[in-house]
Amino acid sequence: MVYEFRLPLIVPQMTGGTVECVYAKPGELLKMGSKLLDVSIDLSSAFAQECPPVSFFRVVLRETALLRELSVVPGQHCRVGDILAIFSSDADENIRVSGPRAVRTTIASIMHHDGMWTGNHQ
Amino acid sequence: MTSIDLHLGPLRAEGCNIVRSGVRWLCRSGQHCRPNQVFAYCNISLEPVTGRLSGPRPFAEELELQVAFASRVGGRISINSSAARGGYLSVRGVDPWDPDAVIATIETDVIPDGQVDASRLRLLALAGRRMTALADAPSGLLPGWHGRTRGWWCEEGQVPATLLSLGICDATGVVVGEQCAFFEMFEAMPTAAQMVFVPDQPLAPCAPVLLEQLQRTPAQFDAIAAELKGFLLDSAMPSPDDWMFAGALLSVMKRNPIRDSYNVFLPAGPARLGPADAVLLSLSAEPQTILRHRELGYHVHIMRHHQAAAGPAVREWLAEAFVSVRRSIDDIKRDYEAFVDNMARITGARPIILNRMSTSGHEDISSYAPFDAPMSDTLATVASKELNLMLDDVADKRELYIVDVDAIAAEIGAGEHLPDGIHQSGPMQMLLRQEILRILAHLQAARPSAL
Repeated sequence: MVYEFRLPLIVPQMTGGTVECVYAKPGELLKMGSKLLDVSIDLSSAFAQECPPVSFFRVVLRETALLRELSVVPGQHCRVGDILAIFSSDADENIRVSGPRAVRTTIASIMHHDGMWTGNHQ
Repeated sequence: MTSIDLHLGPLRAEGCNIVRSGVRWLCRSGQHCRPNQVFAYCNISLEPVTGRLSGPRPFAEELELQVAFASRVGGRISINSSAARGGYLSVRGVDPWDPDAVIATIETDVIPDGQVDASRLRLLALAGRRMTALADAPSGLLPGWHGRTRGWWCEEGQVPATLLSLGICDATGVVVGEQCAFFEMFEAMPTAAQMVFVPDQPLAPCAPVLLEQLQRTPAQFDAIAAELKGFLLDSAMPSPDDWMFAGALLSVMKRNPIRDSYNVFLPAGPARLGPADAVLLSLSAEPQTILRHRELGYHVHIMRHHQAAAGPAVREWLAEAFVSVRRSIDDIKRDYEAFVDNMARITGARPIILNRMSTSGHEDISSYAPFDAPMSDTLATVASKELNLMLDDVADKRELYIVDVDAIAAEIGAGEHLPDGIHQSGPMQMLLRQEILRILAHLQAARPSAL
């Protein structure tokens, strides 16, 4: 079985997000509860405010899956719907299949931390 | 329908003539205005009667002085076009303040009761203390870059109660309103009041920073300034951004807004108001980590988007001269208690604190097992809940008013009205404003002699 993770619409007003840090490498078997990545969402383009309305979120897997491809790095901006990662249940499975299902994840609102791209490079 | 000419009404300043610019309109002629809705304003200046004052000039620090106008009854406004002089004459003081001058007429179907003089405008005085005298913007409402702005209004026989806003974004919009000139507060509160706003740049107003500001001696400030100056002079080449950031930081650190007292001019004459009666704070301003100066021990908290304004030398100073200190919930509680106790002892001001939104419709946690304890170190909603509970604990033993942002947002829908947990919609700001004014009214009622 092949799975994919696309950047979901976490906040209704968002158009994209910035990858803040990644926790997994291709080839790693991620268990249920494993952290995949943190992402920040900046609504500045939607709301004129005197400080940027930025929120941080963590994506955690809710099922066991083998990470085959990770197409993002910290600091990279992605649009909603972009494919960020591809998983499979077996290591030798062909991942170039049409219509893989979405990998099951949990999205959690998190605090900014020192390991994030924002604050260290921006 | 009744047609009422709207007069400026009396305004007096000791030893000074009040001179005003032409009127600038905030509505079209024929537009319907609510009672107490500001529809025009002018700039003013205070000119010494004798040409020379015996003491320091009043409002010397506040280079922006304006008066905004509202009708006491609702209706259709017809503007007196001759009141708008245009060009520089609507910026500079050109006309003496004449209480009988008519700037507009209102067509109203409201029959004012005998106690309301509907022909006399309600006046909202505005004053801005610039961050630097160079921040000179020639036009608009409270124009320029200010380290403090304020607005006050008064009715006969009333002395304004003062609310000082030391919050971050979640307090700013509620207090200053959409035009950054306190119009919504003025409209919502018919009794005398003064709103004071101090921005969160470059120093964010968290409890340890405010406490140190309250207690800092001139000698301690001199040591801080000398160390910063020494670091910058030792740097290879401080940039203009470095000098401007350092200047703004020192300007803010030297002042103590909680101890500030205020000159006001009122219909009956000038008055001097003491320190703020209530101080509005944001729980969201409390960081999990804060910078402590390695040598001098003081704290700074500069939000990331403001740090971006610093040049390379100031960034290097922040990285080298400070150590990052983690704050537990208990640490934050101790800081709050110390700050509240000291403020009560020094000025008697009561804190009003906006708590935090503690739920998010944007997350879908089905199990907390993946998140390490203590979860408040990671999960924003858990951290907010613990901080809100901490605030309740502080309020149990101290006189402290909590504005329950958490409950209000949940009630009206945070997804629509508080999408990022900090920046509210207009309707939510209105609800928070009403809550704050209710607390202020309670304080006024409880301490009539002091207010």
